Amino acid sequence: MDEKNEALMGDHKMSLWQILRHSKPYVAKEKLAIFLSFLLILINVVINIVLPYFTSRFVGLLKDETVGEKTFAILMGVVIGYVVLAVANEGIRYIQSMILQKAGQRIVYGLRMEVFNHIESMSQNQFNEMATGSLVTRVANYTASVSDLFTSVLVNLISNLLTVIGVLIIMMVISIQLSLWLLLFALVAGITSFFFGKIVGKIFRNERRYISDLNTFLSENLSGMKITQIFNQEKRKEEEFDVKNNNIRKATYSVVIAFAFYRPFINFLYYGSVAVTFGVGLQLQLLAAEIVAFYLYLSRFFNPIQNIADQLNQIQRALTAAERLYCLLDVPPEVVDKPEAREIDHFEGKIEFRNVWFAYEEENWILKDVSFVVEPKQTVAFVGATGAGKTTILSLIVRNYEIQRGQILIDGIDITEIKIDSLRKAIGQMLQDVFLFSGSIRSNLTLHDDSFTDEEIKAATDYVNASTFISKLPNGLEEEVLERGENFSSGQRQLLSFARTILHKPQILILDEATANIDTETELLIQDSLERIKNIGTMLVVAHRLSTIQHADNIIVLQNGEVLEQGNHQELLRKKGHYYKLYELQYADQEVK
Amino acid sequence: MLFGKYVNKYYKKFFLFFLIGVVALIVVDVAQTFIPRFLGQIIDSNNELIVDSEKLGSIIGGIILVAGIMFVGRAVWRLSIFRASTGIAAGLRKEMFLHAEKLPPAYYHENKVGNIMNWFTSDIEEISDFFGWGTVMLVDAVFLSASVFISMIRLNPWMTLLTAIPIILIIIWGMLVDRFMSKLWEGRQKEYDKLYDFAQENFTGIRVIKAFVKQNKEIHAFAKVAKKNQEVNVSFARLSVFFDVIIELILIIQMGFLLGFGGWMVYSTIVGNPVVIFGQTISMTVGELMEFVGYVDLIVWPMIALGQIVSMRSRAKGSLRRISAFLDTKVDVFSPPNAVSLDGGAGEIEFKGFSFRFPGTNDYALKDITLKIKAGEHIGIVGKVGAGKTCLVNTLLRLYNVEKGQVFIDGHDIMDADIQSLRNHISYAPQDNFLFSAEVEENIAFAASKINHERVVEAAGFADVASNIEAFPKGYQTVSGERGVTLSGGQKQRISIARAEYKDAPIMILDDCVSAVDVKTEETILANIANTRKDKTTLLIASRVSSVMHMDKIIVLDDGKLSAYGSHNELMKTSPLYQRMVFLQELEKEMEGGSKRG
Repeated sequence: MDEKNEALMGDHKMSLWQILRHSKPYVAKEKLAIFLSFLLILINVVINIVLPYFTSRFVGLLKDETVGEKTFAILMGVVIGYVVLAVANEGIRYIQSMILQKAGQRIVYGLRMEVFNHIESMSQNQFNEMATGSLVTRVANYTASVSDLFTSVLVNLISNLLTVIGVLIIMMVISIQLSLWLLLFALVAGITSFFFGKIVGKIFRNERRYISDLNTFLSENLSGMKITQIFNQEKRKEEEFDVKNNNIRKATYSVVIAFAFYRPFINFLYYGSVAVTFGVGLQLQLLAAEIVAFYLYLSRFFNPIQNIADQLNQIQRALTAAERLYCLLDVPPEVVDKPEAREIDHFEGKIEFRNVWFAYEEENWILKDVSFVVEPKQTVAFVGATGAGKTTILSLIVRNYEIQRGQILIDGIDITEIKIDSLRKAIGQMLQDVFLFSGSIRSNLTLHDDSFTDEEIKAATDYVNASTFISKLPNGLEEEVLERGENFSSGQRQLLSFARTILHKPQILILDEATANIDTETELLIQDSLERIKNIGTMLVVAHRLSTIQHADNIIVLQNGEVLEQGNHQELLRKKGHYYKLYELQYADQEVK
Repeated sequence: MLFGKYVNKYYKKFFLFFLIGVVALIVVDVAQTFIPRFLGQIIDSNNELIVDSEKLGSIIGGIILVAGIMFVGRAVWRLSIFRASTGIAAGLRKEMFLHAEKLPPAYYHENKVGNIMNWFTSDIEEISDFFGWGTVMLVDAVFLSASVFISMIRLNPWMTLLTAIPIILIIIWGMLVDRFMSKLWEGRQKEYDKLYDFAQENFTGIRVIKAFVKQNKEIHAFAKVAKKNQEVNVSFARLSVFFDVIIELILIIQMGFLLGFGGWMVYSTIVGNPVVIFGQTISMTVGELMEFVGYVDLIVWPMIALGQIVSMRSRAKGSLRRISAFLDTKVDVFSPPNAVSLDGGAGEIEFKGFSFRFPGTNDYALKDITLKIKAGEHIGIVGKVGAGKTCLVNTLLRLYNVEKGQVFIDGHDIMDADIQSLRNHISYAPQDNFLFSAEVEENIAFAASKINHERVVEAAGFADVASNIEAFPKGYQTVSGERGVTLSGGQKQRISIARAEYKDAPIMILDDCVSAVDVKTEETILANIANTRKDKTTLLIASRVSSVMHMDKIIVLDDGKLSAYGSHNELMKTSPLYQRMVFLQELEKEMEGGSKRG
């Protein structure tokens, strides 16, 4: 369990080799683009190294060599050559960037689709184990980080490395001695950059942490300002705010301090190396052209070194992202179709549990040897205290979870032999926590399936008594639904959930009744529509309302995951068993006036 | 520079930092201009310098001196200017939070928390950035280019003229593209947000999606969003690369002209036939030409920055406008001068012809309510959704202003009362059970700055949530909210009741806060209220008559009017509306009940 969890969270270490192997398929698809842009980058690097030579030659012509008849023509030739080459360089850079960007975006798209697909196929159990936020981050951010790794970070790293090596070679050709001097400066710059990267990475993390700290604080306290005001706690909240606000200011300023020394220092090194070039260069009796060449190469030497240090840090971050992403992709979906699973269009609606054992976590049995039969068209109510396993039974029928032992059959067929999709299409689920998506009422009923006609929608909302309140809304079916349906009362949400289910024409129904207090008039509407829904087909209910329980064809009483007794209301009352006690305790006083 | 009444004071507060920073920037700008000159000297006189080590030493020394000055200057301006800009951010943020604490709940109804958060985060950042980088860019653009242009003109006015044209092109191009880019950037951000929200909502509602077998539909919909993201990202990349390439091309062509024109002048000088323009003989050495090229290099960045500065300022201005609008929001709920303290009062409440409408609306939410609640009475409040139940108790808390002479607590007009003492006077559990993400114990003891554990346990017992809390692995130290345990709606409601009980004020108000608990728990809580708060004024809003029928008196509200006020028995005789509510409830039981018990 722990290991699985760690894998889901991505905190278990993957080797670099594993990460690369994992990335292969995505990168392989774009190998042509990557190869091509690599080739173009090579050309860029070469041109970048050659360009200063033109300037140096220009100086040489006018300074170091005797001016002759052809000098002016050569001079202009050098200038034109420089311009042509530099323009070509930019053209190539544009093409190369676009090839890579497009490839990178294709990789992001592919990765996002794969991760999203993968997440959609995970079971409810697996979903419960992961925070929604971290799943979203994987889909939205980490996919981009992985693609960046191959299309930007690595490519730039290679191009920078090649530039540094190329420039170093050229400088060596001109003067080994001077090059060695400059190499010393470059090494100091490189090492400083590397360590600076490490330090500033830490400072940045700190800053981000404090920022997100304050944001959490703010969003919570702005939402709960009323409570703070009513309880007269403004002063205390102000003190809490001060601490967080100061943390941010300090953290941000630490970043400033770090850069205030790093950037000027690298700059200082650069000018130091310029001074050395001039001083040592002249002592070595280099020509003016050669000194100019060195001068120009210096900046082409220093910048890539700073970049390389930065890119090494980026690689570290990208690898973490990749690791988390691949760990998620490596988790196999728990509930999947068997290869021989059947598509079934029509169910009679007989449901049977045969010695079912189930645990969310190993050995912590929620259901113990549960058996029962529901005949077609029957309404069955499950009754019992919280934690007795009522809701679990409902979610097992639609295979949200896999049972450990026993069998669940519908119309005599083991549900694992039925395609999950056809199973769930046939079973209409009305769940306790009604979830509404942001959008319109229509989109919440059809769930973006445009094949439903207005008549069908009207019929469904009429059927469940939802049309009255919908028609009173200013925009009717098109009324906006805010995030999680906050602009509707819980009763209205319940009715919408009924309508959604009815619209999708289920053959079997499962219903987890909500206990929330709803004002009496809406409650009556819900009761009434429930009565009608019962006629659709087999119905399994986790029941809280007496009416549902009493009118059920069969009541199954559960305790601690076991079936204690079953029968209809009268039978169970006569038995004077557990149900009788439960009834006395919970429902009887509802009748007393 | 950015002015406004909420930022002007920071110029004064951070004047020294700005001054030091700007001076350091100017020093760096001027120092920078020396480097090309050294290069020129080296090129022109390399032959002499090889022998004249003294002169060489002075040039090298000059470079090192300049480098040293720049090192110090750059560090200083970063440390001082950003000290000011981070200080401004922290100051504004603080000011905003203080203001936020004063704003009434109505404000938070009208404005989404997400929007307010944006003012606190991205808008502050925008302003802080402008005061930081904006200042740097502005000073650089003015002083670096001035310093460079002076050196260039001194060296060769005609070549300076030649470079001016592309420089202007770069500024114009920069401004154009920057404006366009920020629009494209926003579009790109919007698409990304869409993708993010889509995934977020899909994962949150996955149960529904799976229940209705809509995975494939969702995957298709997601593919569209992801594709759109791909497209906008590519077009954004295309534009930014294109922008870059165009600037580079301008620079290359400029360099071509410089070398071509300059080369011609240097060549002519060498062959002893210097170029004559408008009668002026212009001689130039190759070192001077390289010096000139060095100047042009220096001036490119401030010119690109100049293009950005315009849109940066307009963004910061927009941000400041939003923040100022927020800070300008009037706080209309405040204690009057010489406010009366309610401390020590017994908890009597009286409404005299009380009418109320929400600020900015025309319809009255409460109309002409007159009633008196004696100290120590237990009062139930019932009525349909929207009848004004919550509104009635919210006005007691002075969450809104009311007309003078209409609402009294312990004989004092609440408009004359000190708000803090008024709120101390009332224990309140609201309808929306908001808890802070803190330990359960801290939440319950929210009213006090020091936690009394015994009282916490008592209060939890009152709300019938003690056994739930104790069942958590960490008990009262359990952290609620995002980073901790997810509490059920019923648990949150009961903790919110416990929080009100902990405060133990003369008046307690419970606003429909047992809706998510089961019947048995509700009864326990009602019994606890009857016992623990005996002889203490208690108001309970309920959606069911059964919750309040044993109370001393019941307020029946209908469409903002007081429909009836009296005990259950009285109301059964006198109030048709109350009778109907009881009847509906009976009917419901009939439907549920079936068999009657003997």
